[in-house]
Amino acid sequence: MKKLLTLITLMAFVTITKAQDYKFGKVSKEELQEKVHPIDSSANAAVLFKDEKVSFLFTQNQGFMQQREVHERIKIYNKEGYEWATHKINLYKGSSGASSEKLLNLKGHTFNLKGSKVEKDKLKNDGIFEEKLNDFVEINTLTMPNIQDGCVIEYTYKISSPYLEIDDVYFQKRIPINELRVKVSTPQYFNYNKKSNLKAFFSPNFKESKEARSVNMATNTRKLHLGVNQNAFQTSKSEYFDNVVKISESNIPAIKSEAFAGSMDNYLSKMSFELAAILDDNGIPEKTFASSWEKVSKSIYDRDDFGKQLELTKFYRDDISSILQDITEPFEKAFLLQNYVKSKVKWNGYYGYSTYRGVKKAYNEGEGNVGDVNLLLTAMLRSQGVNANPVLVSTKNNGIPLYPTRKGFNYVICMVENQGQYVLIDATEPYGFLNVLPERALNWQGRLIKRDGSSNWVSLMPNKQSLESTSLNIKLEDDLSFTGKVRQMITSNLALRYKKRYVGMSQDDQTKMLEKNKGAIEISETKMDAKDNGAFSISYNYRLNDAIDDIGGKLYFNPLLFMAEKENPFKLDVRQYPIDFTMPFKDKFKVNIMLPKGYKVEALPKSEVMEFKEGAVKYTFIAKQNGSYVQLSTELDLKSPIIDSSDYSVFKEFYGKVVEKQAEQIVLSKI
Amino acid sequence: MIYYFSIGILFSNIMFYMKYIKALLACVFSLLFAVSSSQSDIDYRASTIPINLKIKANAVVRFDKQIVEINDFDDMYITTKRIVTVFNEYGNRHQNAFEGYDSNTKIKKMEARIYNESGEEIKKIKLRDFSDQSAVSGGTLYSDSRVKYLSYTPVKYPYTIEYSSEVQMKSTAFVPQWHPIDDYYVSVENSEYKIINNSNVKVRTKSENFDTYNIEVLSDTHVKAKNLSGIKYEAYNPGISNIVPSLKSALSIFNMEGVKGENNNWGDFGKWMYNKLITGTDAIPQSAIDEVKALTANTTDNLEKAKLVYQYMQDKTRYISVQVGIGGWKPMDAMDVDKLGYSDCKGLTNYTKALLEAVGVPSYYTVVWGDDDIKSIDSEFSVTEGNHVILCVPNNEENIFLECTSQTNPFGFTAGFTDDRDVLLVTPEGGKIAHTKVYNAEDSQQITTANVNITATGDISAQVEVKTTGYQYGLHGHVVNQSMRDQKLNYKEYWDNINNLEVLSININNDKNAVVLKETIDLKATNYASKSGNRLILMPNMFNRMTNIPPRYDKRNLDFKLQRAYKDVDEFIINLPEGVVVEAMSEGEKTESKFGSYEYRIEQIDGNKLKYSRTYIMNKGNYSKEDYSTFRDFKKRIVKLDKNKIVLKVN
Repeated sequence: MKKLLTLITLMAFVTITKAQDYKFGKVSKEELQEKVHPIDSSANAAVLFKDEKVSFLFTQNQGFMQQREVHERIKIYNKEGYEWATHKINLYKGSSGASSEKLLNLKGHTFNLKGSKVEKDKLKNDGIFEEKLNDFVEINTLTMPNIQDGCVIEYTYKISSPYLEIDDVYFQKRIPINELRVKVSTPQYFNYNKKSNLKAFFSPNFKESKEARSVNMATNTRKLHLGVNQNAFQTSKSEYFDNVVKISESNIPAIKSEAFAGSMDNYLSKMSFELAAILDDNGIPEKTFASSWEKVSKSIYDRDDFGKQLELTKFYRDDISSILQDITEPFEKAFLLQNYVKSKVKWNGYYGYSTYRGVKKAYNEGEGNVGDVNLLLTAMLRSQGVNANPVLVSTKNNGIPLYPTRKGFNYVICMVENQGQYVLIDATEPYGFLNVLPERALNWQGRLIKRDGSSNWVSLMPNKQSLESTSLNIKLEDDLSFTGKVRQMITSNLALRYKKRYVGMSQDDQTKMLEKNKGAIEISETKMDAKDNGAFSISYNYRLNDAIDDIGGKLYFNPLLFMAEKENPFKLDVRQYPIDFTMPFKDKFKVNIMLPKGYKVEALPKSEVMEFKEGAVKYTFIAKQNGSYVQLSTELDLKSPIIDSSDYSVFKEFYGKVVEKQAEQIVLSKI
Repeated sequence: MIYYFSIGILFSNIMFYMKYIKALLACVFSLLFAVSSSQSDIDYRASTIPINLKIKANAVVRFDKQIVEINDFDDMYITTKRIVTVFNEYGNRHQNAFEGYDSNTKIKKMEARIYNESGEEIKKIKLRDFSDQSAVSGGTLYSDSRVKYLSYTPVKYPYTIEYSSEVQMKSTAFVPQWHPIDDYYVSVENSEYKIINNSNVKVRTKSENFDTYNIEVLSDTHVKAKNLSGIKYEAYNPGISNIVPSLKSALSIFNMEGVKGENNNWGDFGKWMYNKLITGTDAIPQSAIDEVKALTANTTDNLEKAKLVYQYMQDKTRYISVQVGIGGWKPMDAMDVDKLGYSDCKGLTNYTKALLEAVGVPSYYTVVWGDDDIKSIDSEFSVTEGNHVILCVPNNEENIFLECTSQTNPFGFTAGFTDDRDVLLVTPEGGKIAHTKVYNAEDSQQITTANVNITATGDISAQVEVKTTGYQYGLHGHVVNQSMRDQKLNYKEYWDNINNLEVLSININNDKNAVVLKETIDLKATNYASKSGNRLILMPNMFNRMTNIPPRYDKRNLDFKLQRAYKDVDEFIINLPEGVVVEAMSEGEKTESKFGSYEYRIEQIDGNKLKYSRTYIMNKGNYSKEDYSTFRDFKKRIVKLDKNKIVLKVN
């Protein structure tokens, strides 16, 4: 009975929600009276309703123009939510008015409840700011008037664009969305690939259909989709249809950031559209863009600013012949040439898989984007008979490419193969190495394109565990300070991280950096060295004070001294997104403690092995006494860098135990 | 290749602001004039830099010459030539190859040349090749100023850049100032600054920190510096702008975007602001007047009225940064603020002033340097300066200052942003210098009390109360508006010395009237005390441990400053379970220095209870570099004493 009652109430509730009408310019008292979000009480604001429509309007002068109509109603609960009263609209500006996007019909209101009366303030021109950011982008910022706790704002606008490219449609925000309506209608002549973000925690249901359309034409141009303006002699009516994608969703949760998850944008729910083909009246492709990974790869390869660049050899031929001389081993050639490119052409910070300046200009001017730098390297290697090919990459910030798309890639690296083995190289990273890519490029897998245009996936994830191996010598002095030496060797991707931090820094600053957060320590004889094999070594002497407790005639201290992990960085109770450690690694310690004369070991931390998920992560802690020495060896072994969110609480507990173990003390007592 | 960088806070915003001012406002014109610098003397080779200038430097300014020509009160022409050798990526920002512009500022010439290490020219950048962007920064919604800047990717270090520009300005309110050293880790080989006054307008100047540097004073308006070594960043420094030489200049008659003004002293400047920028902007609609009058009808006390009006303004408005109108110096009309419900600091302050006026409470528009770092308006030299505006309500002897950009700030609360500094009051009689509230140690307290239960296995559960006032209220205030999830994270990070911390409940009481924040947290943690055989090792200072020791310097170069005083008081009652007894503990210890005092005590009370109490007072002050190691030792001692442990025996 009780169950049934709940069901009835629930249905009634649902009916009410559905019955709500979101007519522009009219809000209900209930919307204004609401004090907290009914589902997410932490929300400072919420989208009550959002309607976004993308369609293409045909006019004889302009052909198909893309229209994006947005109607958004936002509830602001408190002052922390005031930022949502400001909204930015970016418009792409071409070289002329006709090639520029335009903002039309912008209207907005703020609604407040004054007593029992609904007060409405209109968004006027003084709340709209138009600004040219640079040559390509104009920002229109609107800020709503009279914002107070509990108010509701609403705006609507239309963007008219001469481009066929459709911007991603987002289904999620940092605040909850109560009701979302999306409709994307694309004329039959344009075939778009669409895909939603599979990494998103929330994914909407969508319905596809066809809708009939017609246009009146003042000419009988058959290929109306080309939008050619011809001299008009007669009027005719053309019939066609739109492919329609519709979404209608309720109660979309807000996305909330989590530490160690990488960019949250990767997890936002959204849908991408990419133009795959332009079709004729009969549905036969006139021009295709992308429909499979092979085609995407081929279409990229065929571009002048990609494949053609790999054939240019003249301008550097003489320069590199002297570098390689009698080297025959391909990987050795790769090593030497990546060093040469690094010294000769600097990355200017811009991404892109294709060249911006072209490899020749980049080479001559010493500067280029990712495409310029890495395609130049690939071209050089090929010119020396090395089997080198470009690999298309989507950087971490760009997300994982979900489906065959040129837009999905934004970066390129180089791969060299020889006798079944391969190395990946990125010459934009000054401290990079063979098979050690910068973190921005370590995103799942890349697409290798060979000379004949054929292509396949290669894994970008570091296949080799990075090793951080530390030896710590400890001597307890009579004044109860510790002295000793630290030696560290770091390899692979972890070494890159260290190099980026320390290489080039003065010894004094390196020492300062090392002393940070290590308590009352004085470090001297700091030596850091980037090895020829890509590894990085650190060594220094230290004196540490105040790290031992002398209580009741007994000495207590932590055998890892300043090297112990002090806190568990995983603090959230639950997670929705995986933890990403970026690379598999092994963190090893060998500690050698020389006991002071006249003391004996009263208690040692217990040796122990801890495992997470059948050894996917393993922590080993071994302590033993050996005459007047105590030896400790510990190892944290992480085989895969990704910890799934479903394993989070187990992992958090495991990591907490590791931190606890490292906090355990040695107790010495007088003989 | 060696580079230097600042650990901790990078160079202050102030220096950025100075550059920005220069950018916004650099310069005037005369066709007759050309820079006749002895250009041929300059050696573009990096190898010719004296070795002492290469130490502690990411870049060396080889040559820097700025000529400011004053042709009239509204006509200024600025010619800049600057040659910088950059040693590494951190030195790139010393190129200073950018100019701001707007409708009153015209860039007449702009050019850069790049030379390689051996002094050969490798690139030339012309005016049209500079990047052009809106000068909107982070929080600003809109600004009508733009900037042209050089975006050059160095191929190899070192390289040398020669930059020259000519800019004509109609606004003369911001005469470029001379800062030969404008950042850490940059050395200066030659720097020259000269004002050529072709007008009848009087030019006033003021020099600072000339004595300790190699400065050649040719006249009041013509100075040269040679071989200034780079300055290394050190923690607790008194702010680089207070250490380095500078020459400030101002015109006695100036123009700010078409508004003429007089400036011989702060009295003049304030009068100009009052008459030309504020008067006429303060009308508010009758409805607002009626509302605040009704709101304050029951009181005759000015302070009470001001409180009510301040709350009214906070409820009605929000802060939006829109930098338009008179170089970003004129407030938006109060009428518009009332209508739109938003504005920037100037508009909101002016609006509040108008509301107060309606209920008969006088107040003054006040210009200030707003920052966590304390910086004063120069009481001795009147020049267009400051980055923020607040409102002063005179109240007998004591002035009350209102931050009008915050919707949540308690009435009169200024700690952490505008406290303890000289400010400019804009009164109808002219400008006056005043000092904002000083928060002393007793005003800025953090009182933590806790009742803790510990188990025989070392787990703890506790109820903790943290009460804060003054500056420390400001440090804790952010939790008030956080979601439960973020509050929990906040406490886990605040008490990061406790592993496995679980937050059970949170209760926050923000008494804005008394300006006291009370946070009550129930929490528990497993294995807080570490086990060693049948002993438990317990750190009794669970909830307020100091862990940071100031960085060590073999040789400290700069004097240091402790900006604010504060006081921490802690008292934790620890209840031991049956069968657990104290095996060893200290009774307590005390340490004192001119920087502050610290004391902790542990007592056994009521049989099986321990009481841990701790008091720590930090004094503010300016100290010499010789005192730094004593200061560090004092802090080091506290860090050690905060780690003190009790050994418990489990029977």
